[in-house]
Amino acid sequence: MSSDLQWLLVRNYNSFLVKRVAEGPIFSKEPGNLRNIHSHKFSGLANSKTIDVTDSASGIKVTTRKVKATPTQVAPAHSTSYVRPRSGGRRALGVASATAKRGYRPDLRTALLARVSALQAAQKEPKPTPAKKVRGHKAKTF
Amino acid sequence: MASRPTVNVRSPSGEASTSLPLPAVLTAPIRLDVVAQVHKSIAKNKRQAYAVSEKAGHQTSAESWGTGRAVARIPRVGGGGTHRSGQAAFGNMCRGGRMFAPTKTWRKWHVKVNQNQRRFAVVSALAASALPSLVLARGHRIEQIEEVPLVVASATESFKKTKEAVALLKSLHAYADVVKVSNSRKLRAGKGKLRNRRHRQRRGPLVVYNEDNGIVKAFRNLPGVEVVNVRRLNLLQLAPGGHLGRFVIWTEGAFGLLDEVFGTFDKASTYKKDYYLPTAKITNPDVTRLINSDEIQSVVRPAGQKVQKRPWTQKKNPLTNKAVLFRLNPYAKVLRRQELANQGKRNGQKQKKEAAAGETFLKTLHAP
Repeated sequence: MSSDLQWLLVRNYNSFLVKRVAEGPIFSKEPGNLRNIHSHKFSGLANSKTIDVTDSASGIKVTTRKVKATPTQVAPAHSTSYVRPRSGGRRALGVASATAKRGYRPDLRTALLARVSALQAAQKEPKPTPAKKVRGHKAKTF
Repeated sequence: MASRPTVNVRSPSGEASTSLPLPAVLTAPIRLDVVAQVHKSIAKNKRQAYAVSEKAGHQTSAESWGTGRAVARIPRVGGGGTHRSGQAAFGNMCRGGRMFAPTKTWRKWHVKVNQNQRRFAVVSALAASALPSLVLARGHRIEQIEEVPLVVASATESFKKTKEAVALLKSLHAYADVVKVSNSRKLRAGKGKLRNRRHRQRRGPLVVYNEDNGIVKAFRNLPGVEVVNVRRLNLLQLAPGGHLGRFVIWTEGAFGLLDEVFGTFDKASTYKKDYYLPTAKITNPDVTRLINSDEIQSVVRPAGQKVQKRPWTQKKNPLTNKAVLFRLNPYAKVLRRQELANQGKRNGQKQKKEAAAGETFLKTLHAP
């Protein structure tokens, strides 16, 4: 089944649509949608090649849909790889360009990099906030 | 055409054992609009008649007071000694009056849908249930299952216990969809709570069987799961709410019978008289493939330079601006040239005529 036709069937109504603001952007929360934007390009449902990035216990999980998968396969059609936890920004860049370099959705390179980087930034432990300095009259008395 | 695709048949423990060819119904054209339209009409056929009482608002002997009493001419309740006397009655604007256009039990509750349209809708919904992306888009939790369409061995038809059914769904990784349903169970808003519709919940998988050897009783108590015979597939179950892509679990027998129940593109159905599957309007709906095909690419002209128009320029009126007119209609230039040439010719003739007054005429005119 062609992805063009699937997009037409999925476009007007699906369970992942998010229309919160009237006249505002239409979002979509399906897995495989890197920008969470409801469009054919970013759709995780209607494309034969999709990249999904999620956080998991064993690091950032990058799931791609296999090129050679038959149209009826569901779980076996996906291959996953992990980015080890606490690996830096260069690693994110490598992950993002690895898929693009082998000709797999090069148009999603920036979106993929942004998502992996955002997850990595979220994994960092925040710096402890410095103790509050006492000022003015209180500082003199104690 | 390539060899016919096959679908694996899974044993109750979950692994693929044999395989079956994909029935033709599952490759039928998918028409969203037909399904929605037919569903809308069919869903009306289960309604119960309701109406207000025939007597409501008319159980008084009110009569109009006529003119001259400085009140509206609406019928008024007669008599005295009670608050009701003198109050307006009957009208839809009156307190205690009847409603406007009181509802009647003989309203048209049912909607007829042509048989071929009903079949088309069912066939479309079935074809949609064989596409993983559409099943996912409907909200079914099928991420972990192996394959869509999901076919299980015929041994499941003789399941007697729900425990077995649960074990089967778990081994197929399809139990997540049942969990989704039981988590979604909410108290219904409004009066429906009092009318045997206390809760609302999602729909789970639809189990389609060929022969009931206990499968119905095994599955029917699972939340959201519906069980149906292949010969009696129903659009309301295949596309609940008019939305395509119900998650269907087939038994081997049921899946094998699909070609007989719905026929194929060139063989009539044995269960429906003279029924052939509807054919698609185009064989290849892949737009990229069409554009890149040799037939198209050999004919199209190579792309020219990209013309970038400046935005926000003033719009010129081609009726007054010649340059813009000629750009839109190059022939206008030819027309205009011809017109000018004609004008010049005419002017030349006129001038000649003007000078044509004879000498003798002028002499006589200016004679003293």
